Amino acid sequence: MTSLSFEITIGILKIFSFVVPVLVSVALLVYLERKVLGAVQLRKGPNVVGPFGILQSFADVIKLLTKENLLPSSSNKFLFIFAPMLTLILSLIAWAVIPISSTYVIANINIGILYLFAVSSFGVYGVIIAGWASNSKYPFLGALRSAAQMISYEVSIGFVIITVLICVGSLNLIEIVESQKNMWFAIPLLPMFVVFIISALAETNRLPFDLPEDEATLVAGFFTEYSSISFGLFFLAEYANMILMSSLTVILFLGGWYPPIDIFPLNAIPGIFWFIIKVFLILFVFLWVRATFPRYRYDQLMRLGWKIFLPLTLIWVVITSAFLFYFGLLPN
Amino acid sequence: MFLVGSFFLFAAFLITTCIFVIFSKNPVNSVLFLVLAFLNSTFLFILIGAEFVGIILAIVYIGAVAILFLFVVMMLDIQITTLMFNIKRYVPLALLFAGIILAEIIYLTVFKTSKVNIDTFIRSKNNTEQIGDVLYTKYFIDFQLSGIVLLLAMIGAIVLTHVYRPTIKRQNIDSQNSTTAKDRVQLVKIKSGDGIKDD
Repeated sequence: MTSLSFEITIGILKIFSFVVPVLVSVALLVYLERKVLGAVQLRKGPNVVGPFGILQSFADVIKLLTKENLLPSSSNKFLFIFAPMLTLILSLIAWAVIPISSTYVIANINIGILYLFAVSSFGVYGVIIAGWASNSKYPFLGALRSAAQMISYEVSIGFVIITVLICVGSLNLIEIVESQKNMWFAIPLLPMFVVFIISALAETNRLPFDLPEDEATLVAGFFTEYSSISFGLFFLAEYANMILMSSLTVILFLGGWYPPIDIFPLNAIPGIFWFIIKVFLILFVFLWVRATFPRYRYDQLMRLGWKIFLPLTLIWVVITSAFLFYFGLLPN
Repeated sequence: MFLVGSFFLFAAFLITTCIFVIFSKNPVNSVLFLVLAFLNSTFLFILIGAEFVGIILAIVYIGAVAILFLFVVMMLDIQITTLMFNIKRYVPLALLFAGIILAEIIYLTVFKTSKVNIDTFIRSKNNTEQIGDVLYTKYFIDFQLSGIVLLLAMIGAIVLTHVYRPTIKRQNIDSQNSTTAKDRVQLVKIKSGDGIKDD
């Protein structure tokens, strides 16, 4: 009995060792985003709360927590409160299989990548339930847009993942990273890498694909009716999802915890630092894109997903498998 | 002990959610309970060690099919009373299907037990590799045929629903992309006090 309670304690500690850093890095990511946007637009960004304004996000959280949580009288109360919780839960449970280094992982399961794909495809439920439960025009339109958009881009993400899996021969995330020890997949599969990053932007509802929360046409999209902490949970989940998609990009294409070249000063740095550096590099690309590109029109978004990415990824799956088969490079 | 306990827990949840799917007054709640039912059947698959089938069930049914159900149901404006009134009409059909499925389960569990020792079967390779081994060799024809059936269903649905209406204005993306500033804006030098000639 003591061994069982010991294992449960260890499990809970492991979970905390992932969840707490993720939530802290969400706060830092919000700060980083505002600083990067400020730098791009020749402003200073947040610079009042704490040294260099670094405590700005924590001040925002305290503000959100102390505000009143409004429930629209015509909403479906249970689903209205449940939707932001579901969104946040889904963005956190995905971390159960993310390997930060070859040993630092909660659950090393042999279908890790499918688990991640499943969890990220459930993410649309939070949005669509929020939009419906609000019982209001703009949230509903935002939810419909989000559902169509996320399903469309999941198709191309699926094919990109299949391309990587053909090269690895395993669904285990640690094996995916270990097969990139000599060469990162971003180099031979460069077009898929680009497609994956663009699809990740669409999957996380980030600019230039943030049509579900398009403030010019839909006020705030699916969370128009949300206030205080329930809005805060959506906000938290969006940024946690960004970090998750960046980690997935790093695992699939940028060699996880491996240094770029296996030579002395680089490989002396622990793998976990390489992982974090790469994740922040991808996150910077997310913010950079947000500062640079205007928002897509909805028909352009759908056209890009179905008429360009889907054929491109499908052809690339065939080309990759044909190449590997012809040169006898298929794993196993 | 743990396995049996979890099996009964998830099976009980599965049956409860299925009952709620039928008896929820609001169709949106029905679909959400259906999602829970799919999730519980995923857990059941994972419990017997078929994690690949389980997670594929979750991706396909929860991640795609149920979302489209929800999408459609949310946009319907159904009168709740008429929906409840009509349920009795479907009872005979439902009993028929339940009977068939029950007969299948009894046939499979009582009369046709598997000869393969499942323990060694599972341990030797992970079940993703095992499915891959037989899917493209032993069941190649069946697999491709089911793919073609699905493709036909998809094309059929598109043909049935796609109506070309010439009155609708469409975006011509190619012409939009190939437009340059010269096609849209004309720079004119005007002497002061001269005005623009309208020709």
